[in-house]
Amino acid sequence: MAQVFDRSSNALARASLVLTGLIVIVLGVTLDQLQRSPWVTRQGQRADQPVPFSHKHHVQGLGLQCQYCHTTVEVSSYAGIPPTKTCINCHSQIWTNAALLQPVRDSWATGQSIQWIKIHDLPDFVYFNHEIHVNKGIGCASCHGRVDEMPLMYMQNSLQMEWCLNCHRNPAANLRPTGQIYNMAWQGPSTDKPVWCAPTGKGGATAQSVDCTTKDPAGGNPELAMLQTAVKSTAVSDVDPGAGLAMPEQYRKFTSQMDLGSYLTAQYHIRPPNELTSCETCHR
Amino acid sequence: MKMTNSGNREQGAEHVAAQVVTAIAPAQLTLAEVRAKLEGKSGRRYWKNLDELAETPGFHEMLEREFPRQASEWVDAVSRRGFLKVMGASLALAGLAGCTKQPDEPIFPYVKAPEDLILGKPMYFASAFPFPTGAIPVLVKSDAFRPIKVDGNPDHPMSKGKSDAYTQATLLDLYDPDRSKEVRLRGQPSEWADFQQAFSTAAKKMNGGEGIYFLSETITSPTLAAQWRQVQAKYPQAKMVQWEPVNRDSAMAASKAVFGSYMDAQYKLENADVILSLDADFLGGIAQPGFLPMATAYAKRHRYEAGSAMNRMYAVETMATVTGMKAEHRLALKPSDLAQFAALLAGGGEAIAGSAIGQPAQSFAAAVLKDMQASAGRCVVVPGEQAPPVVHMAAHALNEQFGAVGNTVVYTETVNPMPSEQVADLKVLVSDMNAGKVQWLVMLGVNPLYSAPADLEFEAAFNKVPNTVHLGSHVDETGAASVWHINRAHYLESWSDARAYDGTISIIQPMIAPMYGGHSSHEMLQTLLDDPQVSAFDAVQANAKTYIKDADFATAWRRALHDGWVEGTAFTAATAKSLPSAGPMKGNNAEISVQQGGVEVVFKPDPSLYDGRFANVGWLQELPKQITNLSWDNAALMSLATAEGLGVNQSDAVEIEVEGRKLVAGALVVPGHAEGSVTVHLGLGRRAEAGRVGAGVGFNAYYLRPSDAPYAAGGRLTKTDGIYDLCVTKVDTIEHRGAFAQQDLSDKEFDTQGTYSLPGHEAMERAIIRYATLAEVKANPNFAHENEGDVPGALINKVGYGPEGEKPAHDSSFFPDAWGYNHKDVSSQTVQNKWGMAIDLNSCVGCNACIVSCYAENNIPVVGREQVKIGRNMQWIRIDTYFEGDLHAPRAHFQPMLCQHCENAGCEQVCPVGATVHTPEGLNTMVYNRCVGTRYCQNNCVYKVRRFNFLLYSDFDTESLKFMRNPDVTVRSRGVMEKCTYCVQRIEAAKIEADKNNRPVRDGDIVTACQQACPTDAIVFGNINDPKSKVAARKATERDYQVLADLNYRPRTTYTAGVINPNPELA
Repeated sequence: MAQVFDRSSNALARASLVLTGLIVIVLGVTLDQLQRSPWVTRQGQRADQPVPFSHKHHVQGLGLQCQYCHTTVEVSSYAGIPPTKTCINCHSQIWTNAALLQPVRDSWATGQSIQWIKIHDLPDFVYFNHEIHVNKGIGCASCHGRVDEMPLMYMQNSLQMEWCLNCHRNPAANLRPTGQIYNMAWQGPSTDKPVWCAPTGKGGATAQSVDCTTKDPAGGNPELAMLQTAVKSTAVSDVDPGAGLAMPEQYRKFTSQMDLGSYLTAQYHIRPPNELTSCETCHR
Repeated sequence: MKMTNSGNREQGAEHVAAQVVTAIAPAQLTLAEVRAKLEGKSGRRYWKNLDELAETPGFHEMLEREFPRQASEWVDAVSRRGFLKVMGASLALAGLAGCTKQPDEPIFPYVKAPEDLILGKPMYFASAFPFPTGAIPVLVKSDAFRPIKVDGNPDHPMSKGKSDAYTQATLLDLYDPDRSKEVRLRGQPSEWADFQQAFSTAAKKMNGGEGIYFLSETITSPTLAAQWRQVQAKYPQAKMVQWEPVNRDSAMAASKAVFGSYMDAQYKLENADVILSLDADFLGGIAQPGFLPMATAYAKRHRYEAGSAMNRMYAVETMATVTGMKAEHRLALKPSDLAQFAALLAGGGEAIAGSAIGQPAQSFAAAVLKDMQASAGRCVVVPGEQAPPVVHMAAHALNEQFGAVGNTVVYTETVNPMPSEQVADLKVLVSDMNAGKVQWLVMLGVNPLYSAPADLEFEAAFNKVPNTVHLGSHVDETGAASVWHINRAHYLESWSDARAYDGTISIIQPMIAPMYGGHSSHEMLQTLLDDPQVSAFDAVQANAKTYIKDADFATAWRRALHDGWVEGTAFTAATAKSLPSAGPMKGNNAEISVQQGGVEVVFKPDPSLYDGRFANVGWLQELPKQITNLSWDNAALMSLATAEGLGVNQSDAVEIEVEGRKLVAGALVVPGHAEGSVTVHLGLGRRAEAGRVGAGVGFNAYYLRPSDAPYAAGGRLTKTDGIYDLCVTKVDTIEHRGAFAQQDLSDKEFDTQGTYSLPGHEAMERAIIRYATLAEVKANPNFAHENEGDVPGALINKVGYGPEGEKPAHDSSFFPDAWGYNHKDVSSQTVQNKWGMAIDLNSCVGCNACIVSCYAENNIPVVGREQVKIGRNMQWIRIDTYFEGDLHAPRAHFQPMLCQHCENAGCEQVCPVGATVHTPEGLNTMVYNRCVGTRYCQNNCVYKVRRFNFLLYSDFDTESLKFMRNPDVTVRSRGVMEKCTYCVQRIEAAKIEADKNNRPVRDGDIVTACQQACPTDAIVFGNINDPKSKVAARKATERDYQVLADLNYRPRTTYTAGVINPNPELA
């Protein structure tokens, strides 16, 4: 009886072994990349919104403050999506006939909500809370990116768990003075642009516990007096420039983000990484 | 009625095989076996149910199998195929889910945002839950204007933030998908305006309103009473009858007889050293007026604390209740004896000629009287609402005799502004209906076709009335038969006012616009008045001017709404009225004619469902009833001796006959039930109209109930064929036990003290329940730990107890601070949080309020009768009831059991996917996303507190229920484990608030849902690392102990051992 398999089968068999291994590896890598890809995460995608609202125009162009629309970012887990009324505040006066704004006027006339598509959409089992991040020195741009440069809103970061944990394991890398939360262009201190910080010596809310300035306090900085804040308020932006003029003395100069971050971690009483990465922090 | 009449196991098994989830045939308990086992046994021993006492083979079989009642599911061919099919589908879905993206989620912002609303932050509004025994002041948590939790109002002077199971469950009542959604005329959709038109036009044609009869539930609203007076002024011939199936007729009749007018009694248990309950279940729930202040005061005085003398309670009752079981001394008497006993007490202990009271009861009476005499002025007698008037009269006389009036009891005007004797009025109404005098019968919130006394033949009379109007939350038995049905607004949707137990008026304000456009009793009465369009709000506000005396009404009104009560409206004690001198009282109303060989049939409102109004509330249906742990069922409840006398075994079908009306029920033996009587609970056996939950559950005891003897009637009980597989939750806690305990059962030589029952064995040998008498604790304050060392009689010498005793050493660890919970914040030097809970077994009265509160807070699903029967109920907290001692006169201990958050948790070590992990603050958390459902953790949990979603129990589809969910808690899906989280969502919210302000979490910032509901402050939660916290103080007491400490699980929940204060004369 003739041999069933030719000698060349050996090579085929060896090749198929290697190939199987390769296929498994390629499949694994592909799936791994796929679930991180913008196709799954929607990172960078501009959704088809009823109104092509431009954050760039409103923030960079007109200088609107974030909280004009996102009113509850400092006091609640939700930052808040503005009601139609907020749009109409201005657009009953300007661009009253713009075709792009027809859905806004319809909403105002009929009382039906403008139906936006959620861009930063966390899974339902994640209990994200804006107020604690904002109050503890995480700026808007740290997560949302340069919203002031986005004509159409998109998601800058993947918002996947690994991305969250990157920061929760090492919050110092992203901490900034609470006075700079809404500063879209904030960059950490460097040797060229140092930051000086000092504890105010007052207890109370995080926002009032540290003073930071980008101008040398020794050099008779005229802005410094304006940065002094009152103790009584708990919100970041409720700064009463007239109160609390006591001048802190112990300014420290920071030339790197990690230095500033670890200083602020202590001053703001940021919980240690083991607590920040504990499951119940985000999942209930 | 559900009835397994087969009585044939093969047949039963066949029936079972067709289901995916099977039930096994009920274990038949032979009472002779129990009796035989009990012979010659004495000493302190505990047991949970009778099966284990009897050691039936079935019970052993259950012990040896891990999931006894589910086992058959896997060997049965049909259900295995069904399982594979289901699993296949879910695997496919799981695969798909991994490859799909999250769907686009729309956002619907407000057009105009409401002022003051911060999305994500709940708001709280004060209101009150109107209940016939007095309104319960509530504080409602509202998320984006949806009520999501009902709790007691902490600012209220009477309730002080406490609540109860019914009040908690009204939330589900609001969102009940079966609520009536429209006005109906002869079953067809109609309009409210049409009804108003028809009713007011007809009324005008009638001579002074003659022929208009209102049949209302008990009125506690001053505004409704005022509106009725207006209606009466306009239509003097119109009549108002108040009637509810469970009413206060006895108290009213007695008060009329004694005081000459209707009066309410308010008990001040904070002043009472000695309490005698005559069938009063004042620790059981708000069915007894004044439950909240009485339970609070009782528990406060019952704690063994420095500087306060412990009270002592005596209870005389028929059915075993939590009040009786908390009493130091309890006497079980059938109703006729109970009435005679009351008369005996009032007569100074002299036995009445011809009385059937036996010697033990007489010496009990003598001891009680002596004790009350010794503490005159600091003692009180509380009569039960279902006790006959003669008992109330005796209580009044005794309270007068022992100087209680003015000290521990005060008499006030009634909470009901129009008090009446309801059954007598109903009888007149029925005869008027039969006589054709009734043209319009307007029923406000009552359901007489279901609950009227059977002998009145209400339905026949009802059919003679040409125009019947039913205002109800459901198209119930009466609503379906009425000409008009008006859908009723829930109290959380409507304006009203109501008086609480102490007389304080609360304004009831709506939390949400009526979901189905419902109407209230106020609007019904207003229909007859000059301006039918006056709303309930207008009526309440107008009438409020009569009791809000403030000159600035607008401000005072707003303050009343904000605070939830109106200052200065509490009743003042009436001046002393002449009371009849205490003397022998003939039981005029207590004669119960029992035929030869008959029993006394006792009718009680259901501990979970009251009179049936909550029948469609799944939380309450599934709630294990106090003492019996029956769920989704009622039964013929009787003592062991009675059952034996009748030749009835547990779960046998029995026929109960009262006045020729017969009903079949399952028999359930209740330890401590009075002999010669059988108790049936009202409120079940609703017809299909009740809704998807309540329909067809149990039997309708109203069918037996005579109008002349509404709470106890002579009857007859006979055994019939078949068995009724009762749904009792206790057995689900015996899924499996450790090898030691099983060895103890099989090798009797280890068992030297007769503590042969397994949970009983564990309760005692392993010291799950620890308590001492007052004398013992004074002699040895450390009694809860006296057996811990290597001393004779120590726990470590007992079978099944760990060889290292109570405080085993930690295993050595590679990590230097593996067991440390004392990390300090680098900058502030504050020590980290360490969460823990302490439960005072002295204070826990087993009222079940915590369980329902947990349902609402944690989105716990209702699983249904079949699932409960196989041990799959999902309650995160359960009340373990351990009976102790004599089977006929047991004592009981209530132990709330919930996740103990062990520092060295067995569940965490066996989870293959890390789904249950420890947090740095010591919480044992469940990560639902990681859970793959191996159930190893459940296996390895010694406290049996983990719950698994075997099926898709959570309702993801019903729209109205979505409004109810707590948005801060995940709604769990099928296949994941869940358990008590210590209300982690509340912990995180408090931490965020504290962190924002750079301060530590303060004691009291975090209140768990069970703690919040607890009327007796039995549960305390907080930071153990904070030495000033309440929980640290509790844990520092000598009586604090861990359950199963020898296993080295290091539970964070500890229990405070009980102390009782028995009378040495009766000991």
